[in-house]
Amino acid sequence: MTTLDHTRTVSAVTPVTDNYLTHTRGFLSWAMTLDHKRIGIMYMVSVLTSFFVGGVFALLVRTELLTPGQTIPGVTADLYNHFFTLHGAIMVFLVIIPSIPAALGNFVLPIMLGAKDVAFPKLNLFSYYLWIVGALCVVASLVLGSFDTGWTFYTPYSTRTSAGGVVPVLLGVFILGFSSIFTGMNFIVTIHKLRPPGMTWFRMPLFLWATYATAIIQVLATPVLAITLLLVVVERVTHIGIFDPQWGGDPVLYQHFFWFYSHPAVYIMILPAMGIVSELIAVHSHRHIFGYRFIAFSSVAIAIFGFLVWGHHMFTSGQSPLMNTVFSAITFSVSIPSAIKVFNWLATLYKGSISLNTPMLYALSFIVLFSIGGLTGIHLGALAVDIHLHDTYFVVAHFHYVMMGSALIAMIGGLHHWWPKMTGRMYNENWGRLACVLIFIGFNVTFFTQFLLGSQGMPRRYYDYQPMYQTYHVVSTMGSYLMAIGFGITATYLVHSLFRGKRAPANPWGGRSLEWQCSSPPPHDNFAVTPRVGDCYDFSVIEWDEREQGYVVRRDKDPELRGHHATGQAGTAGGH
Amino acid sequence: MLPILNAMIASAGTTPASLWMPPQASTVASEVDFLFNFITWICYFFFGLIVALLVYFCWKYRRSPESHAGNTVGPTHNTTLEVVWTVIPVILVVIIFYMGFNTYIHMSVAPKNSYEVQVTAFQWGWNFKYPNGAQSDDLFVPAGRPIKIIMRSNDVLHSFFIPDFRVKKDVVPGRYSTLWFEAPEPTGMEAFHWLFCTEYCGTGHSNMNRKVHVLNQAEFDDWLEKQSRWLDDIPADELYFKAGPKLFARCSQCHTLDGIVGTGPSWGKRDGYTGADLWARTESGETRFADGSSLKDFIGPGKEFETPEDYFRQSILNPGRHLVNGYGNAMPTFQGQLNTTAIDALIGFMKHLDEFDSKGQFKGAAPAAATTP
Repeated sequence: MTTLDHTRTVSAVTPVTDNYLTHTRGFLSWAMTLDHKRIGIMYMVSVLTSFFVGGVFALLVRTELLTPGQTIPGVTADLYNHFFTLHGAIMVFLVIIPSIPAALGNFVLPIMLGAKDVAFPKLNLFSYYLWIVGALCVVASLVLGSFDTGWTFYTPYSTRTSAGGVVPVLLGVFILGFSSIFTGMNFIVTIHKLRPPGMTWFRMPLFLWATYATAIIQVLATPVLAITLLLVVVERVTHIGIFDPQWGGDPVLYQHFFWFYSHPAVYIMILPAMGIVSELIAVHSHRHIFGYRFIAFSSVAIAIFGFLVWGHHMFTSGQSPLMNTVFSAITFSVSIPSAIKVFNWLATLYKGSISLNTPMLYALSFIVLFSIGGLTGIHLGALAVDIHLHDTYFVVAHFHYVMMGSALIAMIGGLHHWWPKMTGRMYNENWGRLACVLIFIGFNVTFFTQFLLGSQGMPRRYYDYQPMYQTYHVVSTMGSYLMAIGFGITATYLVHSLFRGKRAPANPWGGRSLEWQCSSPPPHDNFAVTPRVGDCYDFSVIEWDEREQGYVVRRDKDPELRGHHATGQAGTAGGH
Repeated sequence: MLPILNAMIASAGTTPASLWMPPQASTVASEVDFLFNFITWICYFFFGLIVALLVYFCWKYRRSPESHAGNTVGPTHNTTLEVVWTVIPVILVVIIFYMGFNTYIHMSVAPKNSYEVQVTAFQWGWNFKYPNGAQSDDLFVPAGRPIKIIMRSNDVLHSFFIPDFRVKKDVVPGRYSTLWFEAPEPTGMEAFHWLFCTEYCGTGHSNMNRKVHVLNQAEFDDWLEKQSRWLDDIPADELYFKAGPKLFARCSQCHTLDGIVGTGPSWGKRDGYTGADLWARTESGETRFADGSSLKDFIGPGKEFETPEDYFRQSILNPGRHLVNGYGNAMPTFQGQLNTTAIDALIGFMKHLDEFDSKGQFKGAAPAAATTP
């Protein structure tokens, strides 16, 4: 009990027995749970399952591209079109968008606030079930003939294609959108209303700032996507002309609507990732984050500017040169807050005490990969250069560096960082480091090659290609296999740790924010009494405790917390 | 340093491919590449800086595995430094934006005296129409003269992309879009630049590529003249094997000759039909339609189609009228693209399929094929 109180110890030998995992038992205790931690875990399992499925499609796409023309027997151009579409749609709508906010965010956010749950626990469970319904719609689409529209559902192809699963998947994405909106609303209210004593806005962990900025985008942008996709369904079913010129519609209008959501959606993916990296870098180098306010404000700035740049996806669409110019100019303004964050993370490493463990390696990978993804964004923001690069593999490489190399890598890093907290078990560090290195190398082999492929002129979404591009494709595919091995190792040692892993102390890394001050795994209520917090990046008050085999936060050493330290989750563990 | 030197030295000629970029073959290519290389070198610099600092800090301030150091003291902020690393990127992106804008405006405005080519994109091919009425499947342009491409789409979105020229523009159904380029160096009839479709458009998207030949003015005029009347010069009884295979090249995007199922029905032997090929099953009226009727119901004196030839002609001009069982409404109309002679040549080709190999190459007249096509 009461790990908040440094004077009480939790023995590693006799761990806290009451925790959220064992609090109640049985299928219904999970299916009907209102506990944000259990909902977070269910999201995590669902998202990782989807990631596996999306990954299989990615490997099929890469394998098919080993040679020009048909490579895998039976995979025709049509089937290939379904593969890359499914890969994109699953990874974007079922994996990356919900991964950090809904899975990790749900688990960590209320504990970071010292709260017992999110503001609206029932809404939280409802949004999980909406996710499930959305995912079932995607499955229904697969049964009914799948879809080959690309994840962007561009009209008029999407209103005309004979693939039978277009309407179900559009409805699925519509429903997933509501899941995302409700999670965002929940987080906004939770952060406004449930912050603990002492946590002013500028005392919040940066992960919370990032989640907050993300939630605002989720609430404001997602409805636009929802109504747009609904209009495509209406047009496809009733032939009312909205986006298809054969019925009097305008296909470019669709692109405006779609990117008005889908560009901010890129920030739904990357902002929480940046939040995680801010935590990881600070905690694993035991060093006060550098330039807290600049990082916090840059999250908000990115969220706001992100709404004004959608037109940069449409430089070749035929929109007027004046609009292209304006969108290009605003696009560059987004690059500045991103650059600031990278410099701040580097400065945080300076004079730190850097532990090169698995979560930190993922955070460092993030910085490298995000730098490449961000810097190549400059090529694409510059009008004249984008004309050449648009819709080639250069763009494919660029957004994989941002979505996968950054957002997903940060998510995996966060998963390792909070794994001991979620499961109460430690994973094997050496396997963790090895897998991270394999994934990092595999990723770069796969996608850096695609920059060259794209700038040499290879268009995206091609089943067949000219032989001059084959070498690049072969190298890229080999990289994807290496990544698959890395992820395979990760899955293996994580599952292994659940059964055989060493029991995790409350605070294995020396974290300072509240989630490291309750036991691992946390008790059902997180904290019996809402704790007071100080500066969550002040690492001068953490100390290694041999008996715990972990760190403790010496609350008595923090002048702001003195006298407030006896407020643990009394009564949850008993026996002391 | 090579790529940037290349870009700076390059004047208007064709420059070979570099690590990053394909050959430069248009007047704007060197401008675009200069900017590309300028940005790339900035990227190299900042990326090098970031990785160098990252590696250095991680090595210098690493925690030994046995140590459990809790506290470290370093600066938590430094306003001067933070302002500096905000202002420097701002200045750089303003410069890059301006350069990109400048070149883009140059690329967007076609010179007044441009030579116009009308382009139609369809699933899955391109049709190029020249001012004298000549048409072609591959693009031919004169060297050293600005070319304005005026594009429309028959069906869904497509995009016109010539990597060597650094030009790209979406082809949007329901509106015209244009782009222009000038290729200073002729390629001749043998060499060419690739033209790709870069907006996903379905099954045949990745095969929607064409060759772009740049000819010197005299050679181009000569080609254009011949192209406008290439069908007229062929005697009627030789049309089916001289023009047929050339015209079939476009049909072959969807129709095979060897019975393999494509986007459209094969012209060769099909499963479930007794006729040996397209002509046989059409003549006998065996062809079955999606609505359950068969061609027998429509063909014959006084019916919709007087003769099998009528059925073919209508199928080319109005392909959605009767859909063959098992196939969707995927074929575009060729109204305005194929004249009477061309349709005659294609019908002749269908009647003599046994004289062609599975790729549509003429093998030689069959002994019994002395009749006129």
